[in-house]
Amino acid sequence: MNVLILLAIMLCMAMVMIGGKKGAISFLSLFINFLILLFTVYMMSNPDNDPILWAIIACVAISCVNLFFINGVNNTTVAAFLSTVITMIVLLFFILITTDLTMINGFGEEEIDELSMFSLYIGISFVELAAVVIIISTIGAITDIAISITSPMREVHFHNPGISRRELVRAGFAIGRDLLGTSTNTLFFAFFGSYLGLLIWFKDLSYSLGQIVNSKVFTAEMITILCAGIGIALVIPIASWITAYLLTRKSGSVK
Amino acid sequence: MKRLFKNMTAIQLSLYAVLLLSFIGSMYFINFNYGFYDEPIAKITEATSEETRELSDIYGNEDVLFTQQLRGEIQNGEYRGELIELANEYSLSGANDHEYRVGQDLFVFIDGPAVDGAALSGTIDDVKRDKYVVALTWIFIFVLLVIGKKQGFYSIVSLALNAVILSYALDIYISTENASLLLIASVSILLFTVTSLLLVNGFNEKTYAAIVSTMVGVFVALLLAFFAIWASGGNGLNYEEMQFLSRPYEVVFMAGLFIGSLGAVMDVAITMSASIFTLYEKDPDISIEAMKTSGIEIGKDIMGTMTNILFFVYISGSIPMLLLYLSNGAGWPFSFSINLSLEIARALAGGLGIVLTIPIGIYTSIFFIKRKRAAQ
Repeated sequence: MNVLILLAIMLCMAMVMIGGKKGAISFLSLFINFLILLFTVYMMSNPDNDPILWAIIACVAISCVNLFFINGVNNTTVAAFLSTVITMIVLLFFILITTDLTMINGFGEEEIDELSMFSLYIGISFVELAAVVIIISTIGAITDIAISITSPMREVHFHNPGISRRELVRAGFAIGRDLLGTSTNTLFFAFFGSYLGLLIWFKDLSYSLGQIVNSKVFTAEMITILCAGIGIALVIPIASWITAYLLTRKSGSVK
Repeated sequence: MKRLFKNMTAIQLSLYAVLLLSFIGSMYFINFNYGFYDEPIAKITEATSEETRELSDIYGNEDVLFTQQLRGEIQNGEYRGELIELANEYSLSGANDHEYRVGQDLFVFIDGPAVDGAALSGTIDDVKRDKYVVALTWIFIFVLLVIGKKQGFYSIVSLALNAVILSYALDIYISTENASLLLIASVSILLFTVTSLLLVNGFNEKTYAAIVSTMVGVFVALLLAFFAIWASGGNGLNYEEMQFLSRPYEVVFMAGLFIGSLGAVMDVAITMSASIFTLYEKDPDISIEAMKTSGIEIGKDIMGTMTNILFFVYISGSIPMLLLYLSNGAGWPFSFSINLSLEIARALAGGLGIVLTIPIGIYTSIFFIKRKRAAQ
């Protein structure tokens, strides 16, 4: 039996046992997201397709699955969806500038030795791919924070219908700030875990600090972690403003 | 009260001042630190792309190759101030090459002293990336501080602290012969959990309950992952992508899995304990059953998004390699098993940790509440 299938069955069982119907939907969403990702990679393998455009399409599709499929279509999820898409596009431009400046595109030294039999000239822009990798690695976290801000904000608005837009934004910020610590931790450790092999490799080679800081692999890791952190922070004001705007605009039209 | 406020602003002011000073200091240093490097650094002053060549390979991939002539000035060492001429070749895709631009700093190898009056010649080693890393770190710090205020500050501190712990733990692993990476990872995980949760939540019973459930959750997830690998004889896991390591990569993979799921498990554990303790504080006479039911409801809401977070962090890093395989005529099943098997295993095992921490978190919090009730 294949490990992956066994683990998938175990995860599915655990999710259904603990989460019931919602657990089953959550597991299904994981599977759908995986298919979306594979389809995106398939589209990117054609050099005529722009990787950035397909990354945006993938992120929009993934946030639809994470928000609408798991939580249903309502005011809260629509606000979270808008915030996710706007944050993602702002972040994507920032990441593109960074990856271009730091030249972290392509493969690191530890990988390149293994790739001698490959043709590296495949006509797909690896500068853009470097940005794609970073944005897709954070999309799960961004949708998570967006929905975690918009849904309590709706509660706040529901319990205090007369609340001003300014107050509502402030409430959103407060909710977001409380999430910041744990969410950044989630991402940091996930990155630490997947970079563990590389970190050991660095330590084994006993690089000097200067060599580490300037190496492509280390820079790429640092930039991914830092951009992910910036993305998580950015979604807080964006989600607060958008939700406050949507909620107060709606109450205005009712009156 | 007024005094306290005044004190606060004084502390804050000095904090901002220290921050601003270290920002200016480090940016100045990183832009003029050439003297600290032994390897010669050249600042590019002129860059001209000369010839272009169109390429195509047996798989039908098309690319364009450019030759670039660069002139630069050596910034450090015995040739400081001298001109150097460098040649560079780059492709449109840039899988292992770069197009250099005027103003960039490059590490170079110099062939030897210049022959009367001519420029030096040499080859390019790598880009000097330190200033960008430092600049981005500052952007990260400022964004987190401006948006997150105090919580942003704690996130930064916790990241730095955890990075130091990890680096120190790896040093011990490297320098000790026959050291068990799993043991070292277990000890570091305890340290990570205690420092992160205490920093985010402070000293209280909520935090203690969360620490206990994180540890139990991570270890249960690890046991299940071990069981799955044992039961299947490791069938389906391809360690090819970790082949560059001169160490037993199965262990490195397991330790990475362990650490990687920790953040998400912590997040779930603190969410569960915080919400159950809130229920208890609002109504101290609440029944155990009611706490369990609400706990499960909260757990249902977070399990989907949390497993998704881990999934994307792990999978997205494989995209470039996957594309390279696909473009080199490798089939989907092969590319998939070589490049994604470890990532998917990590995501699934981490997901197990997340989901199982929901009941673990509920029962641990209830245990702490029961103890509190018994004490009263």
